[in-house]
Amino acid sequence: MKKISIIILVFISASIYAQKELEQHPMAKSLECNYCHSCEIPTKDDPCLYTCPRTHMVTLQHPVEDAPEVIVLDELKEQSDLYAPVVFSHRLHAEMSNMAGGCQLCHHYNPPGVILGCQECHENSRSRTDLNKPDLKGAYHRQCIDCHREWTHEVECASCHLLNEKIVADEVQVKDYSEIKHPKIIEPTKIVYNTEFDDGDIVTFYHDEHVNLFNLDCSSCHSNSSCASCHDTTPLKLEPTLDQLHRVCSECHDTEDDCTNCHIKKERPRFNHELITGFDLNKYHKNIDCKSCHGKDGFKGLNDNCGTCHTDWSPGNFDHKITGLILSESHEGNDCEVCHENNNFKKPTCSMCHDEDVTYPDFMPGEEI
Amino acid sequence: MLKQDRRSFLKTSALIGAGITGLKSKDTKAQTRHVISEDRMGVLVDTTVCIGCRKCEWACKTAHDLPAGDIESYEDRSVYEKMRRPDDKALTVVNEYSNPDPTKLPTNVKVQCMHCDEPACLSACIVGAFSKDESGSVVWDTEKCIGCRYCMIACPFQIPAFEYDKALQPDIKKCDFCIERTTQGQLPACVEICPVEALTYGRRKDLIEVARKKIKNYPDRYIDSILGDTEVGGTSWMYLSGRDFQELDFPKLGEDPAPGVSESIQHGIFAYFVPPISLYALLGGVMWLNKKKEKSKEE
Repeated sequence: MKKISIIILVFISASIYAQKELEQHPMAKSLECNYCHSCEIPTKDDPCLYTCPRTHMVTLQHPVEDAPEVIVLDELKEQSDLYAPVVFSHRLHAEMSNMAGGCQLCHHYNPPGVILGCQECHENSRSRTDLNKPDLKGAYHRQCIDCHREWTHEVECASCHLLNEKIVADEVQVKDYSEIKHPKIIEPTKIVYNTEFDDGDIVTFYHDEHVNLFNLDCSSCHSNSSCASCHDTTPLKLEPTLDQLHRVCSECHDTEDDCTNCHIKKERPRFNHELITGFDLNKYHKNIDCKSCHGKDGFKGLNDNCGTCHTDWSPGNFDHKITGLILSESHEGNDCEVCHENNNFKKPTCSMCHDEDVTYPDFMPGEEI
Repeated sequence: MLKQDRRSFLKTSALIGAGITGLKSKDTKAQTRHVISEDRMGVLVDTTVCIGCRKCEWACKTAHDLPAGDIESYEDRSVYEKMRRPDDKALTVVNEYSNPDPTKLPTNVKVQCMHCDEPACLSACIVGAFSKDESGSVVWDTEKCIGCRYCMIACPFQIPAFEYDKALQPDIKKCDFCIERTTQGQLPACVEICPVEALTYGRRKDLIEVARKKIKNYPDRYIDSILGDTEVGGTSWMYLSGRDFQELDFPKLGEDPAPGVSESIQHGIFAYFVPPISLYALLGGVMWLNKKKEKSKEE
């Protein structure tokens, strides 16, 4: 009897335990585990989270205008009475960061859906157990100082915060930054480089083409530009290596094997698709994005056969009207090759059916729109 | 106080002369504290993070009642034109090394006592003034110090300095790892002030793990080496760098503790008092022969 009652007791308590709802991971529904965790079974003690920066996790993007204008960084006030809190012109810096990597430059870790401030992860105490990431004071300074230092070559504490003893009034003056904006960056149109390459010393770079025609963002080339690349008051005498010089171009161009791609002996004319590839971007192709044809495999030569890109076109379903010419009834049922011999879609031939004196465009096989 | 100490030391020296050397040296050893605690603290200096603001120099002087001057004067980077060493007026200094890649910022390196686990200074000190505290600090007792400066010569990092310009009661000076502050639960002054936390204070074994993780995660940023992990038997202060440590003027040191060398020489010379006695015997022999010669000449 005693044994039976123990078994029943165990059974009841186990059933009650099973009824208890398991703690649900906040992100489990929307994300795969390995998005954040590097190991198979993360535990609370060892969550094996990927180390920072985890910029690929940033899902929330918002325009610079929505960023807070000014943030007073006074969390460190309790720790140190040496320097006054920093009045940080957050929006102005967000604007400036556009050329150097954007918001993620500082907000390098944001779990999906939120934007975290530094203090959410970096502890406000230097005596702490987790020494893997810098404390708040360290994190703030590391974010600021490198750019400021590249700019001036100095470490001037006073450019961000005054010594407390030098502040007359007790209050930190919050300057009005609402009207201060980073001046609009004037884009160059054409830059001609005179290089030391003997077989072609001139490299002509059309900046506007890269922006407008090839649709590159500023950050595609300038993601590593520091403030100092424009603002450096006393530029270092740089002697970059060949690799460093070509780094930006080599993202898209082959700079290893074919120098004459860019280096020629005279100034290069603007980009002309027909001249370079033989394929004229006529009225149908003029205004479309390069990548809608070249997107998948980079800017390699494409077959000029229509079917290369227009994969859904076939003799059965092709409506000739979109070319600007409605075929007459007598021509409508023909196969493409009857007029477009050898896939020549530029100049159709009529000789398959007509005498020699019937030629395009003197005789039209239909009505032009 | 010091005077009395010196006198007492001379007294004991006289006793050594009387031939009870072995006994005395045993006493000295017993006085020296050399504790290697599992939880001893350390500092990891990340030279790739240091910006050379020299606030640590100011904080160090302020914490040790040395004339520190105006904090803003430390922003003057012209001091980096010369390489500096810690001395009796500055227990820590920061130097600057221009980067071989001219597009990159220079490297700044803070120099101070490394607080060795097997301190050569402790071993060399003939009055047992030095001790390795369980906190990790290598400290010395000013009251015991006789100013022999052996510690300065023994140190593989050439850290201890001497107050040469003090006529009365000159003292050895070096970083004491802010032992007064740390025993009160405060951080070392330099660690506390460092704006970028280039100095991470923590248990030495935790710091080694942190350093290894950094090297693993950022192989482009760091060379695969932690200076102080094994050098001269391990040090409490350790360094991470993006370039070879010898480029940053760190001496190339083996893994054997420095006292291993100095002690073997010292103990060899005085082993069982045989070499000194034989030296005296030799000199005595020469004297006796000379005297004999003189005697025979006179005759």
